[in-house]
Amino acid sequence: MDLFLQQLANGLVIGSTYAVVAIGFALAFTVLRVINFAHPDIFMVGMFAGLLAGVQTPWLGFLVTLVAGAVGAGAVGFALERGVIAPLRGRDVLMTLIGTLGVGIILQNGMAVIVGPDPVAYPALIPRRFVDIGPVSLTMRQLANFAVCLLLLTGVSFYVRGTTWGRATRAIAERPEVAAAFGVNVARICQFTILLASMMAGLAAVSVGVLYGSAHAFIGLLYGLKAFICMLVAGNRYFEGVMVVGLAIGVIEALVTGYLSSSLRDAAAFFILIGVLYFRPNGLFGSYAS
Amino acid sequence: MNFTSLEPVVIFTLLNVAMVLGLYITAMSGQLSMATAAIAGVGGYLSAILTVKFAWPMLPSTVLAALAGAIVGTALALLTLRMRDFILKLTTLAFGEALSVLAFNWDYIGGANSFTGLELKTTVWTALATALLALYVAWRFDGSRLGFASRAVRDDPIAASAMGISIAEVRSLTFALGGAIVGFAGAVQAHYVLVISPHDLGFFVSLNFIIFLLFGGIQTLWGPVLGAVLLTVLPEMLRFSNQYRLILYGAIIVLVVMLRPDGLLTRRPTGHGLRLFGFEIAKDRSANVSSSRPAPSSQLTFGRQGQAAE
Repeated sequence: MDLFLQQLANGLVIGSTYAVVAIGFALAFTVLRVINFAHPDIFMVGMFAGLLAGVQTPWLGFLVTLVAGAVGAGAVGFALERGVIAPLRGRDVLMTLIGTLGVGIILQNGMAVIVGPDPVAYPALIPRRFVDIGPVSLTMRQLANFAVCLLLLTGVSFYVRGTTWGRATRAIAERPEVAAAFGVNVARICQFTILLASMMAGLAAVSVGVLYGSAHAFIGLLYGLKAFICMLVAGNRYFEGVMVVGLAIGVIEALVTGYLSSSLRDAAAFFILIGVLYFRPNGLFGSYAS
Repeated sequence: MNFTSLEPVVIFTLLNVAMVLGLYITAMSGQLSMATAAIAGVGGYLSAILTVKFAWPMLPSTVLAALAGAIVGTALALLTLRMRDFILKLTTLAFGEALSVLAFNWDYIGGANSFTGLELKTTVWTALATALLALYVAWRFDGSRLGFASRAVRDDPIAASAMGISIAEVRSLTFALGGAIVGFAGAVQAHYVLVISPHDLGFFVSLNFIIFLLFGGIQTLWGPVLGAVLLTVLPEMLRFSNQYRLILYGAIIVLVVMLRPDGLLTRRPTGHGLRLFGFEIAKDRSANVSSSRPAPSSQLTFGRQGQAAE
């Protein structure tokens, strides 16, 4: 039972990061009809932007690093939207997929040229101390990672439900033309959506970097594929659905690691995806028709 | 630069051409398979096991690999049949990835240590034969009833089924045919690379073929061929700047997508003339059509009204 609770907690921590990255995919896909394959690499850029700030100014601590991660990732995301996604608006989904993938290749290998292809040590901004919560013990770093991601998820949930821009965002997701006819500035909201998704990824990336104590130019691949699966499993109608699936996939992976074998961990997500899509082709919570 | 240093590039280019043509046939029915590498891997593994563990000659084992590719392709088509939305066709992605994990955990075929022990059988001529065979099949497919039916399904599934085309049949057949070509080429490749690892079945290898396809353009048979040739040769040509090679590769992909969103090669509408170096090589029939008929209504409503009034 203790193992179960411990793995549940570990899974929730990993899953919260999947959920944040998956929300970034889902925002881009629902609002802009773009599968943004550069998103995982924007996550990676945020991680290194935070690392740069953390190494230069270690006395300023975790918060400044987070801000630097968000700014770095946001800047790249904004440039991507202006440079590649906006000019390709209205084109086939596959073309923007390939275009953003090309940007992702550039970002990955560009970063590998700058920092080298091997993992780089991340500044230890939070002590690696264990905290016992009932039968479960987590490190301070895990708690920080979880707290950052949970704040982002509640924040984005509030944004899309409770604010004018958020409602405009959902209106565009439903019917872009009608939303535009009702006075929504579609181009502006699209820019902001990518900016928001990128900054969220940057924040989560910094907390992940601190959690594992290392950053890697190709780390985006790992989170990107899992987050992409989360979005497919959930369907893109409800952002909250994507969050729940992200957490659930993290938990299932942790349980598979704990009870079966760690080599089956990566397979779990794919088997879930095939199973869910066979019985519910529009995802667990439904999708917008595209 | 001598011939032997070019041999790997030539062989990989030819085999990539064959595989991308398999993907082209699959994609004709509107379902983009993201499991190309997985199907190639199934063919490769099967052919490798038959030749190494059961001492089969190469040719029958590759034929059986093609059959296996067709079976996997059909299974994939049936699995994804009910899925309509583009994004959900990406199930094929998970299918390939699941096969990769299966290979990873199956000790009989080498597991994580990859399958080794193959003998070098594939030459430039074998690869050329494979590519030409794939080209011939794809060319015949394009003009066949199945080719027309699958394009109809791709453009409008509802109208196609109203015309009496069975969507399930067309999709299964295109997946089977494409899978057979990919499985065959995968087997031939296995006899050149000599090592098959579970990573070769993964999503990012499959994605390469999709990039070839869309880079070249999906409207004609020659688009994917051009895409595969250019994008296999290009990274080799960029080797002079090893460090910046993949950055340039990414930049070229982005540029082509931005500047030619339909791919490098596009089909011109039927009846339009084609001039090459000033010589008319296809007659322009559209001019006669537009002079004998009234101008399309879109020209009357949007601009150039003065011209239309004349």
